[in-house]
Amino acid sequence: MCLAIPMRITATDGAAATIEADGLVQQTSLMLVPDARVGDYVLVHAGFAIAVLDSDDAAERLALFEEIAGMAAGDEPGPGIDPKADRPYDPSI
Amino acid sequence: MEVCGTHTMAISRYGLRDLLPAGMRLVSGPGCPVCVTAVGDLDVVVALARLPEVTIVTFGDLVRVPSSRSSLAAERAAGADVRVVYAPTDALELAAAQPERQFVLVGIGFETTAPTVAGALLMARERNLRNFSVLSLHKTMPGALRALLDGGESRIDGFILPGHVSVVTGSDCYRFLPAEYGVGGVVAGFTAADVLEALLLLARQRRPAIEIGYRRAVTTAGNRVAQELLSRVFTPCDAVWRGLGLIAGSGLRLADEFRDYAAEERFTVEPGEPVEPRGCRCGEVLRGLIDPPECALFGRRCTPETPVGACMVSSEGSCAAHFRYRAIDDAMGADA
Amino acid sequence: MPDSGRILLGHGSGGRLYRDLVRDVFLAHFANPVLERLDDAAALACSGRIAFTTDAHVVQPLAFAGGDIGRLAVAGTVNDLATAAARPLGLAAAFVIEEGFEIARLHEVCASMAATAAEAPVEIVTGDTKVVQRGAADGLFITTTGVGEIVVTHDVSAAAAAVGDELLLSGTLGDHALAVLAARGDFEMTLDVSSDCAPLWRLTEAALAAGGPAVHFMRDPTRGGLATVLAELAEEAVLGIEVDETALPVSPAVRSACDLLGYDPLALANEGKMVFAVAPEAAEAVLQALRGRPEGARATRIGTLVAEHPGRVALRTSYGTRRVVDMPVGELLPRIC
Repeated sequence: MCLAIPMRITATDGAAATIEADGLVQQTSLMLVPDARVGDYVLVHAGFAIAVLDSDDAAERLALFEEIAGMAAGDEPGPGIDPKADRPYDPSI
Repeated sequence: MEVCGTHTMAISRYGLRDLLPAGMRLVSGPGCPVCVTAVGDLDVVVALARLPEVTIVTFGDLVRVPSSRSSLAAERAAGADVRVVYAPTDALELAAAQPERQFVLVGIGFETTAPTVAGALLMARERNLRNFSVLSLHKTMPGALRALLDGGESRIDGFILPGHVSVVTGSDCYRFLPAEYGVGGVVAGFTAADVLEALLLLARQRRPAIEIGYRRAVTTAGNRVAQELLSRVFTPCDAVWRGLGLIAGSGLRLADEFRDYAAEERFTVEPGEPVEPRGCRCGEVLRGLIDPPECALFGRRCTPETPVGACMVSSEGSCAAHFRYRAIDDAMGADA
Repeated sequence: MPDSGRILLGHGSGGRLYRDLVRDVFLAHFANPVLERLDDAAALACSGRIAFTTDAHVVQPLAFAGGDIGRLAVAGTVNDLATAAARPLGLAAAFVIEEGFEIARLHEVCASMAATAAEAPVEIVTGDTKVVQRGAADGLFITTTGVGEIVVTHDVSAAAAAVGDELLLSGTLGDHALAVLAARGDFEMTLDVSSDCAPLWRLTEAALAAGGPAVHFMRDPTRGGLATVLAELAEEAVLGIEVDETALPVSPAVRSACDLLGYDPLALANEGKMVFAVAPEAAEAVLQALRGRPEGARATRIGTLVAEHPGRVALRTSYGTRRVVDMPVGELLPRIC
């Protein structure tokens, strides 16, 4: 829910951080993610970082989106999603 | 059912309904915090806006929502001081710049936004900002999910669970869904691929379970720091949800330690009797009982330009999303 | 002039102070034979049909990355004339200035207007100045009115648009709106975005030279964005429009800001872009002509006019689904969670 985009921390100053995404630079508070470090990608919402993003999953997504974009533009389809790939399955019963 | 306004938008914006197989139907639930704000609460906001010393600070979507007799936009045109911010901390700067005025931040949003308002309150306390207060209309999701399923009216087979609310709460808080109601859920991100993946995972569940699709941001435990901040600054209370009625324990009010920042204690207002707009079926839309076009007002008296109910005003409301991003065939009244 | 360095009420009174202001500021920047006559009305020569348009400029803040109110005032009116295939002949500029406005800033605005006018090219041949009390205007308002000579004989309007016409967009969306938003400082962010504000007569001239009567329709997507231009075209032409979402050029910074603030790039204001509807046989030539100009370097095909769903604009998403594009409603608001 809510608008939040992944942004990279480029500098910190106590609980304040400078974050960047593609030509956009902002200040944000790290109050909610005190373990975040320079170089981390954080999810930013309403002036606060609310999570540090897992870079492996993020990289996989990015590749997937680029593949989709490539397919939309008429490129050859790349390797598809492996349906047997690990998913975190959390049966709660 | 999806219960997150941004999911509502994404589904409509990417036209995902076109891609669904026969037998799968997507229903929008009460995921837009503006849309579920009770008319009576809006009346309080309007009444506060009329106080000459008060500046209302709000997130953008609230400005045009009709209350019983007015709206913040109408009040602003009549001379009220209404400012739109993107972050609650912006409200602190506004308050610091004009110590002679009282700045009331209208706290709307679920568990994603409430921690940011909590953070702003801590900063306000640190800076000893006396002309700042919060009207907390925050609400929490799990209670609403129960209410939807307890009502017994909607036949929901699975939930697309909110992505960023879950960043804060963690996915464990939804375990009661399969355990008590036999309904599964997948926490999804906001790209079209994320939503489609969630549907795929739901369809594949052999038994109801809670899964995380949005792995890059969501964990089972959630953001502990944000959760602790929430429990320090807020206390659960009962809340009235438009369309769902009173849901016990589903709201957040400022905790005792922060009551001096509560707008409802600092100011006394007479909001008047709440009046629901006639013919408005926002409640049924929010409960997922009808699709927006089934409301007689949809597209006629109620459009994004002339909204009657909250579901049309907020850009994340089901009706607004449906109207703005409606399939081309619906728009032409032709068959698909 | 008295050395307060600021505009006084007397500067708008028509007397000595006013004449000094005209000489020291306006004439200094806009020097041309017609203006220098300082007649109450400018006399221009024109042989063909004329186009005539006016625009008021009330932008806040007055200056932003890539431009200022002066550049906007000139480019905006030149571009309106351009959509009518009219070569700009002359501009009138009326200033409403708030008492206390710094004259140095007025110089900057006029220098900007002069530079933009030279680019267009057009001359500012007449004008007016009024001064209002402190607080009665937001610093400075400028209204420009333009006269142009229509250089084509064929009809360039929505009525001329036809099924099969290709829609060309001269460049990236949303740059101006976000540059102004960033300059306004409401949302504290630094954005690598400059306003695209620019006069487009030369671009339009190049398109017309390449396409001739195959250029059926031209309009600039200003407030209300591309969505409004397309919705208007579909409605006025009573034709359908199919737009390819993946073809729309949006810079990365604009994309990020839109994602963060909840804006739709199609709804954002532009001040240096043009949409063309061109008969298919000439589309490639027009596109190349656009790309040959700096203002059109990122020109691209974005869609076509179709017979289906007349009056409606359909956007094809990267997933192959389609949805309707409407005119945006109300003022831009950031979404909340």
